[in-house]
Amino acid sequence: MAGAPLLDVRDLKKYFPLKRGVFRERGDVRAVDGVSFALAHGETIGIVGESGCGKSTAAKVIMRLIEPTAGQVRFDGVEVTAMTKAQFRPYRRRMQILFQDPYASLNPRMSAGAIVGEPLRNFGVPASERTARVEQLFDRIGLHREAMRKYAHEFSGGQQQRLGIARALALEPQLIICDEPVSALDVSIQAQIINLLVDLQQDLGISYIFVAHDLAVVQHISDRVAVMYLGRLVEIGDGSRLFGQPLHPYTRALLSAVPRTTAMGERRRIVLKGDVPSPVSPPPGCHFHPRCPDAMERCRRQAPELRDVGESYRVACWLHAA
Amino acid sequence: MAVTHSDSREAIVEVDDLKVWFASRDGIVRAVDGVSFDLLRGETLGIVGESGCGKSVTAMTMLRLIPSPPSVIAGGAIRYHGEDLLTFDEDRMRAIRGNEISMIFQDPMTSLNPVLTVGEQIAETAVLHQKLDPRAARALAVEMLQKVNIPEPRRRADEYPHQFSGGMRQRAMIAAALACRPKVLIADEPTTALDVTIQAQILELMLNLKRELGMSIILITHDLGVVAETCARVVVMYAGRKVEEAAAAELFAAPLHPYTQGLLSATPRLETAPGAHRRERPRLQEIPGMVPMLKGERIGCSFAPRCPKAAAICRESAPRLEDRGNGHSVACFNCGSA
Repeated sequence: MAGAPLLDVRDLKKYFPLKRGVFRERGDVRAVDGVSFALAHGETIGIVGESGCGKSTAAKVIMRLIEPTAGQVRFDGVEVTAMTKAQFRPYRRRMQILFQDPYASLNPRMSAGAIVGEPLRNFGVPASERTARVEQLFDRIGLHREAMRKYAHEFSGGQQQRLGIARALALEPQLIICDEPVSALDVSIQAQIINLLVDLQQDLGISYIFVAHDLAVVQHISDRVAVMYLGRLVEIGDGSRLFGQPLHPYTRALLSAVPRTTAMGERRRIVLKGDVPSPVSPPPGCHFHPRCPDAMERCRRQAPELRDVGESYRVACWLHAA
Repeated sequence: MAVTHSDSREAIVEVDDLKVWFASRDGIVRAVDGVSFDLLRGETLGIVGESGCGKSVTAMTMLRLIPSPPSVIAGGAIRYHGEDLLTFDEDRMRAIRGNEISMIFQDPMTSLNPVLTVGEQIAETAVLHQKLDPRAARALAVEMLQKVNIPEPRRRADEYPHQFSGGMRQRAMIAAALACRPKVLIADEPTTALDVTIQAQILELMLNLKRELGMSIILITHDLGVVAETCARVVVMYAGRKVEEAAAAELFAAPLHPYTQGLLSATPRLETAPGAHRRERPRLQEIPGMVPMLKGERIGCSFAPRCPKAAAICRESAPRLEDRGNGHSVACFNCGSA
């Protein structure tokens, strides 16, 4: 990571207040509870974790699609979380997001060309230039220009995700947040979209935050990987190290649970007991201790900090607190 | 009636040249177009393929769960203990469903009734088939919840589906499916909506119960890893047809059909040996194009338009399944001989 990072997230928090509901509970859902990481230019960081761990919320808070409760996001050195909407607008065009369900994020009443051209229109690109730019984008993502006249429902799932990518590329962003962009697609189509994302990064130097539950996909596309559990990062660092020698017991369990087509060999599965606890009343100490095969007395009382264990590799576990 | 196989176990279900068509506005859709396979007693058979390959329609047809119209069973037979289920009337089918052959689905929330307690739903089939009284029904529900490792089964039996987490709902579905101790369980993407950690729990549970109850399982999934770790034999489907069948270990080590090969190389593999940085990884192999529409009669091999090996003959006639020994069969003109 040479030079200043493109994105610097510091102690980001998002608490959703619980209104008095049927169960009369009070308090907060601590969806994101103090997440910090930096992302370099042209780098991909993968965020993994089970449903409800806060990975999608974190992605949306960084984009300010959801306003953070606390913490800072610096984009290209500038703090953007405290900005007004108007001040933030020029930064918004430099960061884009891709969603899991492409169809739900495409307007069914607009032609494909209009969908891809919409961000250009929003940011005042004149109509005369727009058409040429949209044509270029269609070439870039591998759709025929004739398809510009079609509507979203006339495209297959993979093509719809291509449209989503074209729209995200329209404003030449430096960062694209991918929130489960391939998990609804069939394997053969998934490979096409992943390769497209990799090509775009090589050609345009885009940085990605890649949120997904499929660990093999994340490993394939990410330089560094962050593992989240109940709103906190438990391990973050170089992908080959994280997948090769995971330190946190949660990461180990997660990796061992992935079914594979190659022989099991020496591999032993660590089957975690129970489900992820509720983020409304997370367990005290280390959030993972009730499911952790290595839990110690200290883990029940005191939450471990995310500590650097060398080469910018960080883990939050008492087993690795020197 | 039972067919004897090389490993001398009898087939409990034989699907023979099954054809299921749907009438649509613009013609007939051949969703399942001549599929045959056997499920042996006590085995776990995997059926894999991408969306639209006909795997779920095949499974649903085994329990006659697809309304007709629009579906038409255009041919074939599904023999259970030698008797063709396709000739059964609704009363006889009802005696089979949930009792002899049971099914679980991907999304437990849509298949559980939100206004009945979990316990009531688990015992429902047993009340119907075995005429259990309310007390016995409740005892059975609690026993089944215990079997699927749900803590505090007595209390949980009186709760509603929304009070269960996703993994617990899927366990409850399994408990309901197994309450009558069926001989065959059809599991259609049973873990697709679940996290990997919960998936591992559910698969382990299914295999343990299979052993305990002496069931046979048909596991339908798009996840090759799940198949590799749970199934003894695998059927690969593409566009309504079976393109390959083999023992799981053999299929993953030496796939013959270009589609199976394509699927395997399109799937990113989790690499846990330390080393290779992402930038040195090879690109994923794409399968160009997409799954064809199944409208009308297809001449030739359905995979030909996407196949890197396709030759003229592939577009002119459909390849038949050929046995390559060891129970490995493949439908392809260009896979060479074994």
